[in-house]
Amino acid sequence: MKKISLPERPQWRDHAQEVGFTFADMHGEPYWDETSAYAFSLSQIEQDIEDPSTELHSMCREAAAHITASEELMDRLAIPQTHRDLVAQSWRKGEPEIYGRFDLAYDGTGPAKLLEYNADTPTSLYETASFQWQWLEDQMAAGTLAPDSDQFNGLHEALVTRFAALFAPETDLHFTAAANTPEDYATVEAMAWAAREAGLGAHYCDLEKLAVSDEGQFLDDQDRVIGTLFKLYPWEDLLRDEYAAHIAPSGCLFLEPAWKAVLSNKGLLPVLWQMFEGHPNLLPAFFEADIKDAISGHGPAAPHVAKAFDRAAAQLAAGHVTKPILSREGASITIHQHGQVIESSTNTAYSQHPRIIQAYTSLPQHDGFRPVIGSWIVGQTCAGMGVREDRSRITQDLSRFKPHFITP
Amino acid sequence: MIKRSRTVAITILGAAAFTLAGCQEEQVDAAAFPDLQSCTNAAQDGGIFTAQDCDAAFAEAAALHVEAAPRYDSIAVCEEQHGQGACGSEATATNGGSGSIFMPLMMGYLIGNMLGGRGGASASQPLYKTANGKYTNAAGSSTFSNNSGSAKLGTSQFARPAATVGKPPMSRATAMSRGGFGSAGAGRTGMGG
Repeated sequence: MKKISLPERPQWRDHAQEVGFTFADMHGEPYWDETSAYAFSLSQIEQDIEDPSTELHSMCREAAAHITASEELMDRLAIPQTHRDLVAQSWRKGEPEIYGRFDLAYDGTGPAKLLEYNADTPTSLYETASFQWQWLEDQMAAGTLAPDSDQFNGLHEALVTRFAALFAPETDLHFTAAANTPEDYATVEAMAWAAREAGLGAHYCDLEKLAVSDEGQFLDDQDRVIGTLFKLYPWEDLLRDEYAAHIAPSGCLFLEPAWKAVLSNKGLLPVLWQMFEGHPNLLPAFFEADIKDAISGHGPAAPHVAKAFDRAAAQLAAGHVTKPILSREGASITIHQHGQVIESSTNTAYSQHPRIIQAYTSLPQHDGFRPVIGSWIVGQTCAGMGVREDRSRITQDLSRFKPHFITP
Repeated sequence: MIKRSRTVAITILGAAAFTLAGCQEEQVDAAAFPDLQSCTNAAQDGGIFTAQDCDAAFAEAAALHVEAAPRYDSIAVCEEQHGQGACGSEATATNGGSGSIFMPLMMGYLIGNMLGGRGGASASQPLYKTANGKYTNAAGSSTFSNNSGSAKLGTSQFARPAATVGKPPMSRATAMSRGGFGSAGAGRTGMGG
């Protein structure tokens, strides 16, 4: 894994305009940044990213089975009591997953470490699956990269295959995102392209325009009944909105399904550590409430995690991160090292939520930037990768998307 | 083995793209007849349907009529929707039907040139009168000005109507309320991560 400076494609900003990639620059900073790229070897991709990610997803499925069967864990993950049946039912019925993105810390050697799982509403699908793909093709054609370079990016094809496997030809699917969110919309339209290529009908409606019929079914903005709804809107919000009570009786299949609420939740991390302690791709993690006193030296850890805490105590003391169970774009995250706060996010939007504590692993540094690997799961298999980097230790909304390639 | 997609051609076109690229509906030859006899007569004059098509489609429409015609709890409400004299009790329409449930009389049928059925689509539909003198199908999802004539129609016109409560995807329904999603996440610049 190396960061390599490369000439930018001369016309790439025009190309971005043409294909509707309107957020290539954001907040006055570049978001898509091809002045350099990350180079990986094939074995780094396959052995350190791809296979471990597929394994992590299968461990997450075991965790989903465990959590949805436990009232106590659903409570700790702040699943609203009235909707726990909906979440558990969706798991028991085997409602299908489409996609998810693991955020991994990886420096080119040794096992990648799971930071969190965006299992419900991952974005940056468009720039990963399409714009990055085009970058590689252009750079190979221009001779900037060797003609037998490659990229870990079967994302689009995997999505087409997944949709075709799940739905009969010509099935109508609806897609929704909050109005006026170009990044979210780009992910939704990229998803819809895959559905269409799989022979399905794709229809879009703004989230705020969804309606409920007099028979309790969800309708789009043209009063058409919705049978399947891909929503780029998190379950923790769906379950707290006015229409939450209509979800179960509507008969509508939601994608991602409701059981993703227990994976796209930092409460997953302590559950995984409890189930698979010592797994090479996991960092020790605990619910803050269980070890708050123990980590500050004011008392014991909760009995059911006391031994596991003892085994991780030295690692946690060297460095740990507190994260709210529900948070996105790095909000309300604090990093502690040897008793000192070394970094804290400025966005405190989620600070009222319960927290988890995870052992700290530092991201590698390249030219003052710290890359995080986003490994994408489609169905139950890892299908591609994107890299974002940030100056901060916490990857936030000013992070940059960096293309990658596999060296021949 | 190559680790990337062979081709990816995605452009972000905006919501309009969905209607443009998404739902080009297949058109089929279709005809409406007020009754079986007029269909059979047209078949003898060499129309696009044979007398056998007429029989099969009529039988199917009649079955759908029993299964999926709109039901009302009074004749007054039924006539409000379908016009004076256009309704009868369920008991007169079907054996074992209720005398206190009312449904519109079948005023003809729509037949589509895809007999054999594809994708669960029924090739015929019963037609009912509307209060303003037009014609509609069982789901109430389309209106037609007449119950005889031929045209090109989208295949969705032949989607099987729901037998019980709850309508099939893409059929029209009446909105009871709108806008109940989105408030929990309001104020954020994006919902994903």
